[in-house]
Amino acid sequence: MEYVGEHLLPGQLGRLFVSLAFVGAVVAAIAYYFFIQNKQNSFKKLARVSFLVHVGSVFGIVLTLFYLLLSHYFEYDYVWKHSSMELPFKYVFSAFWEGQEGSFILWLFWHAVLGTILMFTAKKWEAPAMIVFALVQAFLASMILGIYPFGLKIGSSPFVLMRNVPENIGLPWTEVSDYLLRFPGFMDGTGLNPLLQNYWMTIHPPTLFLGFASTLVPFAFAMAALFNKDYKGWVKPAIPWAYFSVLILGVGILMGGAWAYEALSFGGFWAWDPVENSSLVPWIVMVGAAHLLLIVKNRKTGLTSAFFMTLLSFLLILYSTFLTRSGVLGDSSVHAFVDLGLSGQLLIYLLFFIVIAFGMFFYRYKGIPKSKKDDELSSREFWMFIGSLVLLIAAFQIIFSTSIPVINQLIGPEGLVPMMSDQMAPPLDAIDHYNSFQVPFSIVITLLIAFGQFLNYRHTSAKKFWKNISLSILVGAGITALFATAYDFWQEPLYLILLFTGIFATVSNIDYWLRIGRGNMSIGGASIAHVGFAMILIGSLISNAKKEVISETNVFLSEDLPSNENALLELADTVKLGQYMAIWNGMRDEDNKQFYDVTYYNQEADGSLKETFALEPFLQMSDQMGPTPNPSTKHYWDRDIYTHVTYSSYLEPRTDDGYSGEVEAEFNRGDTVIYEQHFIIMDSLQVNATMNEETGEMAFLKLTAKMRVINVLGETYEVAPQYILEGNMLSHEDVLMEQQGFKIRFSDVNTENNKIKITLWTKVPEDEKPFIVMKAIVFPLINLLWAGCILMALGTGIAIWQRVKREK
Amino acid sequence: MKRSHIAIIVTIAVAIGAIMVTINDASTYVGFAKADETPGTKYTVIGYLDKEAPMNYDARANKFEFTAIDKEGKKRTVFYSQPKPQDFERSEEITMKGYSTDSAFVAEEILMKCPSKYNEQNEVAGYGTY
Repeated sequence: MEYVGEHLLPGQLGRLFVSLAFVGAVVAAIAYYFFIQNKQNSFKKLARVSFLVHVGSVFGIVLTLFYLLLSHYFEYDYVWKHSSMELPFKYVFSAFWEGQEGSFILWLFWHAVLGTILMFTAKKWEAPAMIVFALVQAFLASMILGIYPFGLKIGSSPFVLMRNVPENIGLPWTEVSDYLLRFPGFMDGTGLNPLLQNYWMTIHPPTLFLGFASTLVPFAFAMAALFNKDYKGWVKPAIPWAYFSVLILGVGILMGGAWAYEALSFGGFWAWDPVENSSLVPWIVMVGAAHLLLIVKNRKTGLTSAFFMTLLSFLLILYSTFLTRSGVLGDSSVHAFVDLGLSGQLLIYLLFFIVIAFGMFFYRYKGIPKSKKDDELSSREFWMFIGSLVLLIAAFQIIFSTSIPVINQLIGPEGLVPMMSDQMAPPLDAIDHYNSFQVPFSIVITLLIAFGQFLNYRHTSAKKFWKNISLSILVGAGITALFATAYDFWQEPLYLILLFTGIFATVSNIDYWLRIGRGNMSIGGASIAHVGFAMILIGSLISNAKKEVISETNVFLSEDLPSNENALLELADTVKLGQYMAIWNGMRDEDNKQFYDVTYYNQEADGSLKETFALEPFLQMSDQMGPTPNPSTKHYWDRDIYTHVTYSSYLEPRTDDGYSGEVEAEFNRGDTVIYEQHFIIMDSLQVNATMNEETGEMAFLKLTAKMRVINVLGETYEVAPQYILEGNMLSHEDVLMEQQGFKIRFSDVNTENNKIKITLWTKVPEDEKPFIVMKAIVFPLINLLWAGCILMALGTGIAIWQRVKREK
Repeated sequence: MKRSHIAIIVTIAVAIGAIMVTINDASTYVGFAKADETPGTKYTVIGYLDKEAPMNYDARANKFEFTAIDKEGKKRTVFYSQPKPQDFERSEEITMKGYSTDSAFVAEEILMKCPSKYNEQNEVAGYGTY
């Protein structure tokens, strides 16, 4: 059968590129292996050419998918699912990586870019390091192959036509040759999830995936070193890459936090969600690995740990890929990907690299040089080593708690080896659970950051150390006292300690750079990055521990219900929100968005109101997700006032004649339902039907439900709503009860359980004002967090640049 | 023994501690019957929406009320102090974190699993000719 209106060529081209990318990577790996074996340059040439073919094909895949998205070829499943005609050009990028296939391509792309750089700069490390790269790429390319040999699914292709998607094969519409022109549903895509229509979603995923990809470079160097038995030489070239990874992955994660804060409505930038955790953990380990590499370079000790953590960071990237894409998180995360049926393949990918990496590590373990001598307690390397261990353990705690669904799969009652009698569920209060560990870990880390730089490698004299650092301790303690008083931290000892260590770390790093190091740029990078990191922690601490839900109303519905964190604002009414008075001025409908204009006032001493600022939180309306709240935030230098609308009376379904509060109930004879303090009882059902003599079909059907409505005083009203079917015309004879303000409709018959469906409404009082329900939160000093992010990125960047410059 | 070895041993000890605490902190998936035994204690209950029972969101009190059926088939009224989640009617499964009271199960957090998008294509084509 010829289908009408399909564009098959770009899809075939795309699939060709995917196959070429896969084959190119496999050939490159094999050719590099032969080159190592017999040192013939022809193999090296073949390997390079194959890898370049692979790189070219990956670029081809990217361009083809963009072409499909920009051309709106909705016959392609990926295009139909992730874009629509009206999607603005700037969000085509977001649509590209919204789905799993697209994000695999993004990852492939960055590996291809980094792999090419490595291939031409790695010199003697090239062959073994590129084998690792090529193998990783072969696995990744296989994830988008979309072939079904022997009934096995290998990969999920973004170039598959909608009618060829397994779920759709055999459906009636796939047999219609002009389905694209016939069904309006196929003329436009379902569009991009409105939550992702945000500029952060344009830059956050590519940054994060570059971060993911960057962990592969140190990993490849470490593997090459183990392979070549050259245990020390890899450290120097790997250090800049490790810090590059710290920089990019860190920025990527924080951008995710910024997106959550700006566009999502959970009220904060971090929620310890499994998806967030699984990108944070490899970063923490990479920070540890990068610092260990520095020890090795300066002191030639700690090599074993450096190997271990460098390998672990990339393996954790693979593990988090498995967690977020295999569907295993299911119940526990709000934003994991949909399961594409690739879990088996992802597991093989993960296990393959765990086995070769740790296999290689333990096989070579004996050969890795270890120092005989103990590090001195007053040496910088000893405390850096301790810091790395603390980072490792912090990472372990996070990933272990995040892995509870995996533990269920392994040893839960329905798991592989049933050992537990109950399914474990993630901790009820996730934030409390993680904080109870991460706050003490942060205290140790910030303390180490604070004094680490004041120690020399090898040995430090106690006198000099205390002389240099005492200024920072004093200044830090002073500033802490100010903050603790301003933000009321005196009652919370653990937070108070973190506040102190954080501020101490900030002060001492500035002091070390400017006073001890005389502002020398070559050591400035590390200091600036450390200051940034400490500020991130201080900012998170203050903005989280001291956030104030100013919309909280102390009205309790009953004793055991939580208090209401949302305030109700009627149109033009003044409501007190913390120190502010707020007025909701009305709703504006624009581009599928409902904007709610809320003005905040300050109460002056004389009682008058002075307008301070206005916010416009909105609800994004979409068929796919329904109304989605989008917050609006007023930024001051010392605090943010964050507002989002959780509900509005404009969302209530209202009938044309002014009824709302629709409730549907099913009745059998004798059933009673309670509605708005009335009993509604159905007594009997009358059936009137006439047959068409000629055709024998039902010509007229009238069903009458005889019902009673009884109020609290026991007064009874008899009503009889009707359901009338004349030929194909359906009509209802509704009952209006003026006094009660009820409308009763006999809306349908449920043939499955032989019950009738009654719909009930209540009249909206003429004078009822529209209203919104909204949440408002004050986050103090959250800007410290963002400033810290920028400083950390900047400092790490400077440190990398200085190091690369020095090597030249 | 080297100091670094001591540090590694301490690290492993803390790791084991973390595992123990996590197992202790972790809740278990239970049914309403179990949650009712100790009112006020928090549990995670997985169930699905009882589509025959009425669902009501009282915006003024910001209270959403619905009936859920757990995996053992027990029905329970659930209170949720948030507006009705979008597409709630379409959810296949609801994960509720909360506690039991005399009047209802009070959910503090709700996660839903919705049917995948695949079915939409069939719905789209469904009203064409078939």
